[in-house]
Amino acid sequence: MIRRVPWVLSTLLAVLALALAVPSREPMAQGALANLPRNETLILENPEGTIKNAGWFNIWAINAGSQSNGLQQAALDTLWYIDPNRGLDGVWQNSLAAEKPVYNADFTQMTVKLRRGIHWSDGVEFTAADVVHTVATQVKHKNMRWSAALSLTVDAMETPDPYTVVFKLKKPNSRFHALFTVRWNAIWIMPKHVFEKVEDPLKFDFNKPVSLGAYVLHNYDPDGRWYIWRLREDWQRTTIGQIGKPGPKYLAYIDPGPPDKRVIAQMNHELDVIHDVAPEGMFTLAKQSKSSVAWFKGFPYAHPDPTLPALIFNTQNELFKSRDVRWALALLIDIKAVSMASYRGAATISAIGIPPTGTHPDFYHGPLQDWLSAFELDTGKRKIKPYDATIGRQIADLLRPSLGNQIPTDPKTIAASFGMGWWKTNPEAATELLEKAGFKKAGSAWQTADGKPFTVRVVVEGESRPVMTRAGSMIAEQWRRFGIDAKVDVAQGTLVTRRSAGDFDTIISWSVETWGGHQDLSYFLDSWHSQFIAQPGSPQPPRNWQRWPNPELDKIIEDIRKVGFDDSKSLELGREYVKLAVREMPTIPLMSYNVFTVMDTTYWTGYPTAEDPYTDPVPNWGNSRAMFVRLKPKS
Amino acid sequence: MRSYAKHIARRFAQFLLVVFIGINLTYVITHMTPIDPVEQSIAAVTSFGNTSPEAIAMMRQSLRELYGLTGGPFEQYINFWRRIAIADFGPSLSAFPTPVSALIARALPWTIGLLVAATLITWTLGNLLGGLAGYYHDKRSLNVLAVIAIGLHPVPYYIVAFVLLVMFGYVWPLLPIAGGYGMNMEQGFNVPFVLSVLKHSILPALSLMLIGLGGWFLGMRSLVSNVVSEDYVVYAELAGVDRRRILGSYVMRNALVPQVTGLALSLGAIFNGAIITEQVFGYPGIGSLLVSAVYAGDYGLVLGVTTVSIVGVSAAVLIIDLAYPLLDPRVRVA
Repeated sequence: MIRRVPWVLSTLLAVLALALAVPSREPMAQGALANLPRNETLILENPEGTIKNAGWFNIWAINAGSQSNGLQQAALDTLWYIDPNRGLDGVWQNSLAAEKPVYNADFTQMTVKLRRGIHWSDGVEFTAADVVHTVATQVKHKNMRWSAALSLTVDAMETPDPYTVVFKLKKPNSRFHALFTVRWNAIWIMPKHVFEKVEDPLKFDFNKPVSLGAYVLHNYDPDGRWYIWRLREDWQRTTIGQIGKPGPKYLAYIDPGPPDKRVIAQMNHELDVIHDVAPEGMFTLAKQSKSSVAWFKGFPYAHPDPTLPALIFNTQNELFKSRDVRWALALLIDIKAVSMASYRGAATISAIGIPPTGTHPDFYHGPLQDWLSAFELDTGKRKIKPYDATIGRQIADLLRPSLGNQIPTDPKTIAASFGMGWWKTNPEAATELLEKAGFKKAGSAWQTADGKPFTVRVVVEGESRPVMTRAGSMIAEQWRRFGIDAKVDVAQGTLVTRRSAGDFDTIISWSVETWGGHQDLSYFLDSWHSQFIAQPGSPQPPRNWQRWPNPELDKIIEDIRKVGFDDSKSLELGREYVKLAVREMPTIPLMSYNVFTVMDTTYWTGYPTAEDPYTDPVPNWGNSRAMFVRLKPKS
Repeated sequence: MRSYAKHIARRFAQFLLVVFIGINLTYVITHMTPIDPVEQSIAAVTSFGNTSPEAIAMMRQSLRELYGLTGGPFEQYINFWRRIAIADFGPSLSAFPTPVSALIARALPWTIGLLVAATLITWTLGNLLGGLAGYYHDKRSLNVLAVIAIGLHPVPYYIVAFVLLVMFGYVWPLLPIAGGYGMNMEQGFNVPFVLSVLKHSILPALSLMLIGLGGWFLGMRSLVSNVVSEDYVVYAELAGVDRRRILGSYVMRNALVPQVTGLALSLGAIFNGAIITEQVFGYPGIGSLLVSAVYAGDYGLVLGVTTVSIVGVSAAVLIIDLAYPLLDPRVRVA
């Protein structure tokens, strides 16, 4: 037996060496792609990770398969797109629709003219029948993804000709078209000629998918790690193809694993577009990978998504019903320290309830600067002007000694990169506000009006969202230093359930998401109407997690419902909301959700950046399809 | 023989009881989770979409019906056992309507393939080298090996895994750092696919082997150190029996019995998956499936995976219990 030991060991080593040395058809050591030309393939991260039921492509079934595996970016289409940045040719794009939606006077009817000459990948022409079938199927089968939204709104549909659909609505709805307008996703149009033969669309996997986008499914991993899409030969017969020929012949959406592996994969040029990494990963790539680029050329690199992380109060909690208490807590926050702790300084701050991204700084942040500077807060003892318009610049100055030339000096670029102003830290004013609300300080600790310790739980998500967790921890620390018994409460996987149930005092999350490229705020604001606020303990519909009822806000929302999407009045009303939210502080806005999307220029050039902001580079957005027509192989 | 039959019956009854209790405990624990799968689904649908609050309320009710979450706790419990009896874990809530059994069937071969191979290789090498080190305790090369094994054994697994990942994925990018096989390959018994699977399994297997080897090595070395002082070994040496024969036939054979128990338990535990390995190396398998099910509050899938695991470990223990009297005649079954 002992004699056999060397033999066994040699055999094992030989097998190992063979597996390593045998020339595989994979071009690179890490086995990125087999049988595909790397210089014709764009490899993107699918942040959904490994897909459990990989062979499911029926996106109209709830929570069934992957969405951002290329399905919604490359293979599906709908009536309109609004770009979160500037767009290829303006933010509004008529996609399957030939023109903007046309409403009747009381918004009970919407007419859509469809584009001609668009074909499904199996050669069948796209017509109004597909649109009608998409709606009718989901109304008929109540458990589909958009069943509820459609059955609550659509009364009837007419198709006067194959390229026109008239929607008759159950009640006035000036934003009905938003259901068919992509901001990340929307109601995708299903192929009637496929689904009409299906008995139960909830159990139909739609594999292999018939595509309406410029790409068709080429291959996928049954274990859910990768999906490869191939450019259609008739790409001209698609809406994106009518803009131009997509550069990559193949798109590979992959699960590259945790952040460290994404960084390694891009350094090895095996991952062209990283969806997101931690700030530290971004800094590593900026330093060590010459071919990697991000949204901003230098610090803070990240793309600000039209999403606004904030400290959200549970206003059904007695402690936070008082505006004075909410404002006191806001004035105890040092946003510079929060920016450093969370994004290592790479944050774009916002004092108002609108993300500082896309066209919003032009519509809201910029025009409201004077109002913010003049805004006065009554602490009970005096009036203060809490706004400091220079905080964005102060953050840039803080970073300059360590990052030097990477930090811009131009005030406009600083405002775009780090944000404009925020609230000055003011413990004295916070003391006065708390005292105004009846709170008292006993020794070094604050007590509520009824003499109990002032305890605040700050719910954070935990390691799955480290940046926001660090922001929450820093805020709790700042409150603790002031004498408030603030505790960080890590929710991990329970965050969604707890947020919905209102099981928090305060939570780091977001209840504001916008189009980014459009002034209209109804995307999130409509759900803030008091008619939708749940009773304490009952699940709250997204997005009014703060459960904040306010008659003035209700009036603004109702007025927005009455005006058209592009009406300048909606902008005025939007600004009214901003002013009201500043006065009332139902949430403390912090910063935009900055996404560290990193793009490798080894094989492809023409990625969207702050200098050429034609779309959002974040690859799970449906809008990221605009990237395909602008990417060119590196010569 | 009659007593052995009784032994089988008794042990089998114990096996059934353990499985029944284990599955019930899992059922209770999963149903106590604060994660609501309906809210998880709604969050997935609405976190990016534009859905009105009225529509959400309607969707919430529909999903409860669709996921079979309506009805009282007792009714749900009875339904659960009805399905278990026919090995049907129902549909996965986070990958609806795909059956849980289909997801497990897809993940399990990867886990079994990786862990069986890594466990058997580690066990064989560890015992062989440990046996040699225990018997030839004056050999310098084996002592060096012992120092390495002792040094590696306490290192946390994830550190070894990350070191391998950085070494072979970045510094010396020779091996794949993610997945079970290369992209754009057809699964099947073809040479490129098999080679790709082998190549992708090297790093995860090596990480498991480096950590596992020390345990078997040290265990066997110490067992052999005890056996070599037994009278029959001393007598054999004095009688001039060939040392290699003594080691192979007298020493290691006797020392191996507890190690076989350990091997059987390790093989049974394979059904638990290798969560950290699968997460670090992005390897497809039942461990990753379990983690994603827990995060999604997917009761059905958690129950399915844990039931497979409970049955696997219990069956391994049963097999050891039944085989022990046959392996070692000194063990009595009465």
